[in-house]
Amino acid sequence: MTAKWVGKRMAMGIVVLLIVSFLSFFIMQAAPGDPAAAFYGGNAQTLTTAEKERITHAFALDQPVAYRYVAWLRETVKGNFGTSYKEGRPVSTILMERLPNTLLLFCATMFFIIAGSIWLGTVAGMKEGSIWDRGLSIFSIATSSIPAFWLGILFIYFFSVSVGILPSSGSSDVSGHGGLLDTIRHLIMPASVLILTHVGIYARFLQEGIKKENRQYYVKVARANGVKEAIIRKGIMRNAAIPYLNYIAITIPSFFGGSIIVESLFGWSGLGQLTVKAVVTKDFPLLMGSVMITGVIVVISLFILDLIMYAMDPKLRKGGVR
Amino acid sequence: MKSRKALWFWYSLLGLIVFLTVFSSVLAPFGSNEMNMDEVYSAPSGDHWLGTDHLGRDVFTRLLEGGRVTLAVAGGSVILSLIIGIVYGGISGYLGGVIDTVMMRLLEALITIPSLVIILAFQVFMQGGMWSMALIIGLTGWLVTARIVRSEFIRLKEAEFVKMAKMFGTPVWKILWGHLLRNSVPAIFVITLFNFAAAIFTEVSLSFLGIGIPPAIPSWGNMLYYAQNDILIGAWWIALFPGIMIFMTILSINFIGEAWKDPERRRVND
Repeated sequence: MTAKWVGKRMAMGIVVLLIVSFLSFFIMQAAPGDPAAAFYGGNAQTLTTAEKERITHAFALDQPVAYRYVAWLRETVKGNFGTSYKEGRPVSTILMERLPNTLLLFCATMFFIIAGSIWLGTVAGMKEGSIWDRGLSIFSIATSSIPAFWLGILFIYFFSVSVGILPSSGSSDVSGHGGLLDTIRHLIMPASVLILTHVGIYARFLQEGIKKENRQYYVKVARANGVKEAIIRKGIMRNAAIPYLNYIAITIPSFFGGSIIVESLFGWSGLGQLTVKAVVTKDFPLLMGSVMITGVIVVISLFILDLIMYAMDPKLRKGGVR
Repeated sequence: MKSRKALWFWYSLLGLIVFLTVFSSVLAPFGSNEMNMDEVYSAPSGDHWLGTDHLGRDVFTRLLEGGRVTLAVAGGSVILSLIIGIVYGGISGYLGGVIDTVMMRLLEALITIPSLVIILAFQVFMQGGMWSMALIIGLTGWLVTARIVRSEFIRLKEAEFVKMAKMFGTPVWKILWGHLLRNSVPAIFVITLFNFAAAIFTEVSLSFLGIGIPPAIPSWGNMLYYAQNDILIGAWWIALFPGIMIFMTILSINFIGEAWKDPERRRVND
């Protein structure tokens, strides 16, 4: 049963990745950019027609799009993302350099967002009508209306320019030998910007869920029968947790989008910054690579969340699909 | 109740912002590209209420002009995503069966993709003006609308009055338009409001990254693009005010959306 379910989820993840690759490949193929220009930068004008043709041939750009897509897919499955137009290095090497930083930022912010929202949401949801309850509602609407990168700019002004206690950009000091403490110092601002703008909305979702469960008949009956409050809470939490986890799953893609922008603002050398650079320089293989690796991260996160939900929800175990 | 008064406050705030930006060409004290090299980076004062930027352009003027661009892009994209979402969700929900299953599986897959990534892919070949920006945001922003329309259509098509209408031989288009779509309006309205807020976020973010609207056109996002450098020399006013405008716009949209969502939710629960 379980093996079948896992297989099904994994198959769906692969289908998603195929759609992502197909869409982005064909969209980008419509790009009018000249690969020779991307490869040689400003010197592209000095190239002769024959040289240009040779480059076009070397990148197989004289072949039909469908053929190139299949060829790209075949190589990608083997882990070969091609060579960056701009840097002339294998894309997979560049991606692997950036991946740890992105994962660090992603995991650190997600951890604090989930922990913080569970704490805030539970406190507010269990005491309906209290100041916590109303306060969290307003806090979450207000914080989710702030563009994360703008808050980041204000943070830079305050903490880097005025007070000068935190670095305004980068993911480590120039020498690169700052160690763990230095990385944390660079992590504080991007992470706290993302946490502040997202924790409220997740907490609110849990809060609403808890409030809804609290009004249910089974809770009233349990209270009337004198069941211990701790046990009732456990029951409520269990039932409120499923839609909450589902909500996290739905919003992970857009959260990831937001972190791309924050990465760029703080010069955090991760995938997000890389993706934006690839767009600006029209570096096609690099962009495809970073799009795919972003897709993989999202699919894996969704898979992990699915597993947690599967473990928690007996209905899913009996063969239902989310 | 007090929330009613609060709601009117948010309506008026949003109305004021829209008014100021729509009539920006009349209300603005300077030209949006009027440069004054003697007054580069001057702080807010009597002459320039919100200061000037790195080319000596008036921030207040650009704030109003930029708002018009940002809101127009968001508005255009929302209309597009509304149309696509209604058609897609409507077909899926009304027809049901295998078609519905296939369409929904595709939708689920699309929702998994960070839309910003697809927008970035689009931007490679479409760095045009503001309308191509609206097109791209619209093309990637219809997914949730489609889902809502579908679930509304499924709920409504089983309703007594729709079955009745079918029995009496009402033409299909009349059922679709008059019964299903018109009764879905409240739900569609709420999601469209939130979509509008999301579209503003997207435009602002892309322009901020320097890959959105061309820098020559003022928009809130473009203003913030330059602000990230200006902030390092202490010119805080260039960053502060566009952000506040974005914040207030989204905030009022969110509060209005919440207010409209609530009766909806109650009805569904009953």
